[in-house]
Amino acid sequence: MNQNVQAVGGPALKALGKQKAVVAIAIMFIVMIFTDSNFYTPANFSNLLEAVSTNAIIAFGVTLAVICKGCDLSVGSVMAMSGIIAIMLLNSGMHMALAIVIAILSGSVVGFINGFLIVQQKSEAFIITLGMGMLVQGVALLLTNANPVSASNPIFQRIANDNWLGIPNIAAFMIVLGVLTYLLLRFTSFGRNCYALGGDYEVAEHSGINVVRTKWLAFVLTGTFAAVAGVLAASRMNTGLPIAGVEVPLMVNCGVVIGGTSFAGGVGGVPQSFIGIFVMFLLRNCMSMLGIHPYIQQLVLGIMIVSIISLDCYAIKRKKEAV
Amino acid sequence: MTKQPRMGRQAAVDFLMEYLVLFVIVALVIVTAIVEPRFLSAQNFTNLMRQFGPLSFVALGMTFIIVGGFIDLSVPGMISIVAMVTLSLVDVIGELPAMFAGLVLGAALGFVNGTTLMLAGANTQAKALFITFGMSQIYRSLALHLTGGFPMNWGTLFEHPMPVTRALSSGMWGPLSISFWVFLFFLLVLYIFQSKTALGRAITYTGGNLTAAELGGIPTKRVVVFIYTLCGFMVAVGAIVLFSRVSVTVPTVGTFFERDAIMAVVVGGTSLTGGRGNVLRTVMGVSLVILMSNCMNLLGVQTHAQEVVRGAILVLAIWLDHRRHARG
Repeated sequence: MNQNVQAVGGPALKALGKQKAVVAIAIMFIVMIFTDSNFYTPANFSNLLEAVSTNAIIAFGVTLAVICKGCDLSVGSVMAMSGIIAIMLLNSGMHMALAIVIAILSGSVVGFINGFLIVQQKSEAFIITLGMGMLVQGVALLLTNANPVSASNPIFQRIANDNWLGIPNIAAFMIVLGVLTYLLLRFTSFGRNCYALGGDYEVAEHSGINVVRTKWLAFVLTGTFAAVAGVLAASRMNTGLPIAGVEVPLMVNCGVVIGGTSFAGGVGGVPQSFIGIFVMFLLRNCMSMLGIHPYIQQLVLGIMIVSIISLDCYAIKRKKEAV
Repeated sequence: MTKQPRMGRQAAVDFLMEYLVLFVIVALVIVTAIVEPRFLSAQNFTNLMRQFGPLSFVALGMTFIIVGGFIDLSVPGMISIVAMVTLSLVDVIGELPAMFAGLVLGAALGFVNGTTLMLAGANTQAKALFITFGMSQIYRSLALHLTGGFPMNWGTLFEHPMPVTRALSSGMWGPLSISFWVFLFFLLVLYIFQSKTALGRAITYTGGNLTAAELGGIPTKRVVVFIYTLCGFMVAVGAIVLFSRVSVTVPTVGTFFERDAIMAVVVGGTSLTGGRGNVLRTVMGVSLVILMSNCMNLLGVQTHAQEVVRGAILVLAIWLDHRRHARG
């Protein structure tokens, strides 16, 4: 009898345990029904979607790095820098498309350097990207002399703020990039190689995968995605803020892990990362809607980060012990 | 780690790499002294000694964490909450008891960090990084909540004359400032602890190879909890010296201290992979970080350009460290 219950309950609980973030989202949506707030209004949803979009785009890139058993803490600074570069080039009279391409490429360059130091030189990913983040942050501050810069061309802010079939452009960009990354991970040899080398680097190397090139490319893409998000964020606010991304990197990396892309490497994917980011911003949004004090919001977010990452570590430990 | 004997040029390169920081410090001092003679003035020396304060204590604590193979990003949160709690207690229980309470609080927070990590089974730097980052958010929000976000100024706020704080802030004893004497005291104690006691060596073994240390009978979990507790205590010392110096303390006072402390430790030559390094190296690292900003200020380098230079030096130091490690 007891075994029967376990046989039925076990897999269901297991599935539920894997989708902790989905359960949390469902709970928040249900709780918000019973509160007297403006949560269920179109304005709030479009606000939420816009806030999620830029971070989700960064998260798609970071997902690649984390699947390859790395992580990237320079994404916040890259985001700030690329937005500034786009606006400054635009203000200097350059054609908009060219300015944006150069801004995005600046992110690729940072990703390339990260990849070189991590893959070629075998530096520890998180600490070297922390250092790179500092360096790039300095570049962003230096370029603008620590002042925000705003675009003189009014078309620039329409990139992110216009609607397309009722969907905010910025969300459309996120969906397109998300689908592309999903396809890249699922249906190309590059994607499969990422999972393979994240799962076991040496086995992947011995089976003839070009591990160096694959992991390196993953970091280049991470930088590129962060730069795309930076341009979109700058367009949304029509401003390039040199300190825009201070808390972004740790938030995004945590969001990715909350979704289920583990630091152990080799597992996870784009949908999971989106859910992870969404749950963090939904929580923030709900707390703001309920009028909870910002200090308490920070406390709740901190507790959430600690507990989710701890659970991830604990799961890895249990798996190792089981083997 | 045994080194293979190297010949001639290779040995010279190794020697240079080993003491690279020292050479850089000497070069920096000479160049700045030539370009800007004010660098050698007595006033600048006093200045340097004071700047040495808070960062050096935090970096000493961080050394043990990094030698043990871990990392602690909760420093900013800990500094904030220790500084705010200590200051709020001054009027209630007096200055010295308040400071004592601050030190106990710091150690307790470090203990919480270490215990959380060990309960979760977080045995790598990357995992420790994220968990301690979350802890920092928690501590900081508590500090903000406690004070309502308002700054505290011990110079005007309290009836209490605050003799100890004043002494830490600007007191001199002989040629050196009192905060520097405190630093020398902790340096000596920690150096002896690290090199002469079993626990000190256990930290190094744990960082060198966690599994081997565990198999060798070292209670690695307790060692990790201990290094976080020690770091929390040193951070609390740093927090007290910090609020004595800045006089107006805002609840977000600790920002970027974790970054600078990690930088000082790594630049000094303590390996991020763990198991290699000591507090004396950290002193070199702190000296370089402080001297660098002092020199750049004297030479009129723009603040933001300094940020770029700092970032570049951190990346370079980590890179060199890993190269050295890969070859050794």
